[in-house]
Amino acid sequence: MHKPSFDFSVACPAALRRSAQAVFLCVAAVGLTAHGAFAAEPIRIGLIQPLTGSVAYNGQADVDGAKLAVAAINKAGGVLGRPVELRIEDGQCNPANTVNAAEKLVQKDKVVSLIGAFCSSATAAIMPVAQKYRIPLLTGVSSEADLTEKGNPWFFRAAETDQLLARTFAPALIKTLQLKRVAYIGVNDDWGRGGVQEFQQALQAGGVQTVSTDYFDHGATDFYTLLTKLRASGADGLFVAAETQDGSILVKQIKELGLNMKVFGVGSWATSDFIGLAGPAAEGVYAAVPYVSTLATPQNTAFVASYTAAYKAPPGKYSAAGYNAVQIMAQAIARAGSTDADKVRAALAQTDYTAPNGHYRFTPKGQAYGFSLALVKIQNKTPNVVALATVSAPH
Amino acid sequence: MDLLLQFLVNGVVIGVFYALSALGLTLIFGLMRVVNFAHGDFYMLGGVLGWFVTERLGLDFFSGLAIVAVVMAAFGWVIDRVLIERVRDQGEEAGILLTIGLSIVIANVALLAVGTAPLKVASPVSEAPLLLGPVVLTRGRVVALVIAALLVVASHLLIRRTTLGRAMRATFQDPMAARLAGIRTERVYASTFALGTTLAALSGMLLGSIYSAQVSIGGTVSLKAFVVVILGGMGSFPGAIAGGLLLGVVEALWGGYISTNLVDLVGFLLVIVLLLFRPYGLFSLRAERA
Repeated sequence: MHKPSFDFSVACPAALRRSAQAVFLCVAAVGLTAHGAFAAEPIRIGLIQPLTGSVAYNGQADVDGAKLAVAAINKAGGVLGRPVELRIEDGQCNPANTVNAAEKLVQKDKVVSLIGAFCSSATAAIMPVAQKYRIPLLTGVSSEADLTEKGNPWFFRAAETDQLLARTFAPALIKTLQLKRVAYIGVNDDWGRGGVQEFQQALQAGGVQTVSTDYFDHGATDFYTLLTKLRASGADGLFVAAETQDGSILVKQIKELGLNMKVFGVGSWATSDFIGLAGPAAEGVYAAVPYVSTLATPQNTAFVASYTAAYKAPPGKYSAAGYNAVQIMAQAIARAGSTDADKVRAALAQTDYTAPNGHYRFTPKGQAYGFSLALVKIQNKTPNVVALATVSAPH
Repeated sequence: MDLLLQFLVNGVVIGVFYALSALGLTLIFGLMRVVNFAHGDFYMLGGVLGWFVTERLGLDFFSGLAIVAVVMAAFGWVIDRVLIERVRDQGEEAGILLTIGLSIVIANVALLAVGTAPLKVASPVSEAPLLLGPVVLTRGRVVALVIAALLVVASHLLIRRTTLGRAMRATFQDPMAARLAGIRTERVYASTFALGTTLAALSGMLLGSIYSAQVSIGGTVSLKAFVVVILGGMGSFPGAIAGGLLLGVVEALWGGYISTNLVDLVGFLLVIVLLLFRPYGLFSLRAERA
């Protein structure tokens, strides 16, 4: 795409040694590159997301957000006078494939840093790879609390953990929904199980009884059996950890079976796709999310406008995650003043990024804080924010 | 008791859907002996096309269903004449490789064309619950059940009562004798493949109106369909129906009384147990072909 016309980084030091005239030429060349912005070699950032398989839809949303951020950065002159280029690989949410993708990005594409992966298990698998090659790794999605506790200095997480969401919103949920007996349903993977566990603990601490806990596999389409069991259980609330596809079908079938429960949960629910798929059944559903397109900050208004212009739909939580991750990484490279991995890592630790959903800073362990979490209720086909909280620095 | 009744009804409904999505495979795999790994992708194409004609072109469900049937029959015919014909009579391996390749191509072209988002197929009726005593169903499910039953009966009549059906049965009993008797067997193969493809696509559209259609669903559907066909016996229509119902009911009872998170295990357990006692499936047509 961006063919380097004059590779001064290699040519200049040798030329400098020869003559004063060459020094002049060299300075002129640097000046030229600074002006004719994209003559220089691009800064490559590797992005690993699931683009096929059961969570491909969500991975694609992340990639869309990331591409929008790159376009915005390059339009504003790039980073260090060089354009940013994304190298995107499909990790399929699978640890083995994600490791292959990371190795390829590092060895063949020579990326400066890595962003990804989507599923916590896949991210956990590439954390040692990042450490081995000494290259910064930033995730905008993986929410399993353990990841930042592994003591990997190259890993940063610009996302909420299940624990944060659960502890932040449990009191509000218990109060608004008047929960007494809650049933839990989660998708059968690390994220679903983590979400169910954390919410169960947080709600139980608030005096809410657990009626039942069930898991289903990704791509399951019929929940009648599960819901039939629930109907007989006498629960007054239902917690669900599921993504758009499974979640929308589940919510529809809850209505079909006439279950009279308050439904709340985590996942990409506060999106127009979810609301379109679930139809009237989406009304009254509560979701705890780190981002929703109806947030009222100036940064978000601008983000939603440019995203909608590019993709004809407002962004969801994964689009925002992709966008934020690229912005944080690009700003760190700019602050580092070079693409040297150690300097970028040090600069990442100093992050102070104003996102559409609040501020992002990192703890010494690499966990982000300072951004907002929202509890939204879907009403009249729009996700309305009913409670907003800011993630404080964990102690 | 009410609970058991609801579980059984859930199981029967899913079982009929399983049977329907496996019918096409029982023709292609059971009769033509093409181990068709692209079956789930034909199903997926039906759902995606169903979304296109109902949501994009704004047609009603039934005209959409007719269009999908015609398009997919033509597609199946072309696939057989252009691709499958080249590997006919070369053993099963060539067909397996071919259909795996076909499945990858179809899934990725669909991914490029419509993306990863789940797609909604407009339902012919409202989704309000329908109460039958203690048991809940929806109008959508009842309509899907009726259409599924009609499709099963129509395919059965086609094979048992028409000239084409007689030619099919003759061809699969003994292709050489059929050719000698003047049957254009290449057309019979193509028609059978087209019929199998159409049945898969129609079940994809039908179920897309109840759940949602999705590009990445192919693999899961293929797997379940193979389980149903092997349970029921290769090439047997009653077998596919019995296999589908058995799988649906056992899954529902397992999910209801044991655990929902290992429910995909049930089908394979059933196959293992059945193969131990009845190696040719419940209703095998071709026990002699070992």
